[in-house]
Amino acid sequence: MKLYQVVVKDIMRRKKRVLYASLGVVIGITTIIAVLTIALAGQTNIYGQLEKYGANLIVMPAISDIDIGLGGLSLGTLAVGDNYIFEDKLSEIRQISDGKIREALGIEDEGDIATIAPKLYMNTKVNGTFVIVVGVDPQEERQLKTWWKVSQGKYLEAQDEALVGAIAAELLRFNVGDKITLNGGEVTITGILEETGSNEDYQVFVPLETAQQAFDKEGLVSSIDIRALCNACPTSEIASAINENMPGVRAVAVKQIAETEMGMLEKVSKLLLALAAITLAVGCFGVVNTMTTSVHERIKDIGIMKAVGASRNQVIKIFFYEAIIVGVAGGLLGYVAGTLLAYIIGPLIFGGVAVTYVPQYFLPSLALATLIAVIASVYPAFRASKIKVADSFRSL
Amino acid sequence: MLEIKNISKVYGEGTAKVVALNNVSLRVNEGDFVAVMGPSGSGKSTLLNIIGGLDHISSGEVILDGERIDNLDENALVDIRRGKIAYVFQQYHLIPSLTALENVLLPLTFCGADKKDQKALDILKRVGLEKRAEHKPSQLSGGEQQRVAIARALVNDPSLILADEPTGNMDRKTGKEILALFEQLNKEGRSIVMVTHDPEIAGYAKEIVVLQDGQIVDKVNHAGGNKC
Repeated sequence: MKLYQVVVKDIMRRKKRVLYASLGVVIGITTIIAVLTIALAGQTNIYGQLEKYGANLIVMPAISDIDIGLGGLSLGTLAVGDNYIFEDKLSEIRQISDGKIREALGIEDEGDIATIAPKLYMNTKVNGTFVIVVGVDPQEERQLKTWWKVSQGKYLEAQDEALVGAIAAELLRFNVGDKITLNGGEVTITGILEETGSNEDYQVFVPLETAQQAFDKEGLVSSIDIRALCNACPTSEIASAINENMPGVRAVAVKQIAETEMGMLEKVSKLLLALAAITLAVGCFGVVNTMTTSVHERIKDIGIMKAVGASRNQVIKIFFYEAIIVGVAGGLLGYVAGTLLAYIIGPLIFGGVAVTYVPQYFLPSLALATLIAVIASVYPAFRASKIKVADSFRSL
Repeated sequence: MLEIKNISKVYGEGTAKVVALNNVSLRVNEGDFVAVMGPSGSGKSTLLNIIGGLDHISSGEVILDGERIDNLDENALVDIRRGKIAYVFQQYHLIPSLTALENVLLPLTFCGADKKDQKALDILKRVGLEKRAEHKPSQLSGGEQQRVAIARALVNDPSLILADEPTGNMDRKTGKEILALFEQLNKEGRSIVMVTHDPEIAGYAKEIVVLQDGQIVDKVNHAGGNKC
């Protein structure tokens, strides 16, 4: 029989007491796990939205819109006038982007690396209704919008073809084969997209040159999406390199937009975590309390053990083993309760965000709970070890 | 093997001062069976605790096998409890969450010898409890619990057994069985010091020491039949 077995057998007899002792840890761990799980769900949600956007960088004309803000608060942007980027800047943008990526990844590939998709947005009347016509580079756009699926017909190929978003097709009663007139130019609808849930559903896509010719915007684009296609790609660096070297355009890394949103989330998470830490500290005192009571209750048992040969260290060990069991139980219950709490509260905070349990938090929560329980047991264990056998029997 | 010289034990201070033992000297030789008698409050249990190093003394010396043990630190006393001296208590003092067998194994666990189940079983057999090995103390009678406690005391093969009113909680018949067990252990060469207030029980010992108000007032040696 090992010492830990003695402890386990004793705990099996005092299950309620041990559960009670672990309660302090459970509450602390529950709060922490709930906060972390919800924060992660929020983060995943933001990243998910970004992923759906496709581009890592957006290059826009430098003065196409004005930021409306109050101090540090952004109230959105106001678009003013027609501003375009000259198409010939594409090669320079490609040079900068690919150069930075090569530098970051340490590769010397000569081919194109980043997907660079220029776009020309035009608002026009088609069959009496206003729709947004987007001129795109069919190949680059396809690489950018990996989630696009053509539900009817085929993808853009020739200059006189058009691809229509699902809702636009429905509202305007477009079918594959229909001919539509865009400000004079005529194109044939050759494909209809599956619904994507974004504003693409309302747009009509035509090849860039077709749009430029139809609307007299030769050599001009509204914006350029850049997709770096790697997680380690230095998108912020690409953005600042473009901003430094190319007057007249403004590049923004989508990550930067995300970071603003993330920053807010992080601040709130930190505040909540601080509160959770306080809860855990209070819980720790709870454990000290129950453990000290436990020492008093077991004065006789400790005396017996000492009388039959337990050393002070062994008495301390007994209490630490107990603390480990309390900690593991507390961590386990705290993880489960925290995850359940996140499932309930998460959707309320982030408006229906799907919260998923995080297995990576399981072991750390056990470890943290155990650490807290062990720290909380130092003083009670020390007191137990000081018990004198004769005193323990006299006190009965 | 054991000698106590002029020991005194004082509890409390000032007006609350209680003298539990006053200048007591006693010798226990190998193979002795000493009964310490006296009314309650006479200091018998305190004496036993001091002999076993469970309690500190105010003055005097306790010598075990030629070594002073009254001034030893906790760790050195642990070594003594793990080999030379074992206790049997009136309240049995078994650990309620452990079975009879596990209670007997407990001293071995503390010694670091954790695979001695057979040894513990053999000792339980000696005290006639091999069939009760898997029972918890709450499922055993008083006599059976005391046998488990005796088995626990024997498992480390001690040369001195200290028993504090070992039959105090039993009926006469069970008590006699326990005392017979003590006599047998004594015949094997183990020294026994037993505290009791019952003259009949004390009669099982070879030597009787009578304590009153913290002082030895009488010593009777059955073996020789002489008063010392």
